[in-house]
Amino acid sequence: MKTARTDVGADAAALAPLQSFLCQFWSDADLPDADRFPFELALEEVFMNVVMHGSTGLHDVRVAVTLSADEDRQVEMVIRDGGNLFNPLQAPVPDTDAPIEARSVGGLGIHLVITLMDDVRYSADGGQNCLTLRKRVAADNRGA
Amino acid sequence: MNVTHDTAQKTTTLHAIGRLDFEAAGGFQKDLEASVSAAAADGNAVLIDCSALEYVSSAGLRVFLVGARAAKAANVPFAVYALTASVKEVFDVSGFGRIIDVLFDRAGALEKVGRGA
Repeated sequence: MKTARTDVGADAAALAPLQSFLCQFWSDADLPDADRFPFELALEEVFMNVVMHGSTGLHDVRVAVTLSADEDRQVEMVIRDGGNLFNPLQAPVPDTDAPIEARSVGGLGIHLVITLMDDVRYSADGGQNCLTLRKRVAADNRGA
Repeated sequence: MNVTHDTAQKTTTLHAIGRLDFEAAGGFQKDLEASVSAAAADGNAVLIDCSALEYVSSAGLRVFLVGARAAKAANVPFAVYALTASVKEVFDVSGFGRIIDVLFDRAGALEKVGRGA
């Protein structure tokens, strides 16, 4: 079992360091590069949601990200934030059939995340938002 | 993210290279809107070459939407081509293939915007 944890302020400037943290974990855990994308996407979508909406009216909101991978290549990412309580899994599903004039990307980020992950769970844990995202990655690097 | 431009056969092509994330989205949107305006004035089509675009998030998708809308409003033929696996997955899940012409390669894209051989 490989685990890594980091903690950043809810500021858009922290997005690049968070992605570097994910990349470092991915290579340390020897996970296949081809399977990193859903986690990079989920990290950006969830983190930017906290930055843009979750920290409205609050100061010094922190976001903690914990990554782990077990021997069966089950990867788990837990994102905890002290922002306004919000369950993204209850957000309305965007209409992906609407004509171009009526399209927006509101809600599309979390819809992408739910679709690309195997399992996404939300809890309001000790007054914090806690999102747990899981996906089993396919083959290992050596086989590629 | 880097973007290079070229114009040939009455077609302006933006080659999108790297990661289109929240950070890159603002700059790419300005670039694409300016390219669509210039193409409208010159009677050109606009293509986006995505063959080196490794990553797109919902913030990046929004730029494709804004660009496609601007092109439609200005009667500028518009298409994207050569999506990488990750970017294609995002387009598929979000249904963007139903509102933006997505072609497999440059030849298909040129044909789609009426610049085929």
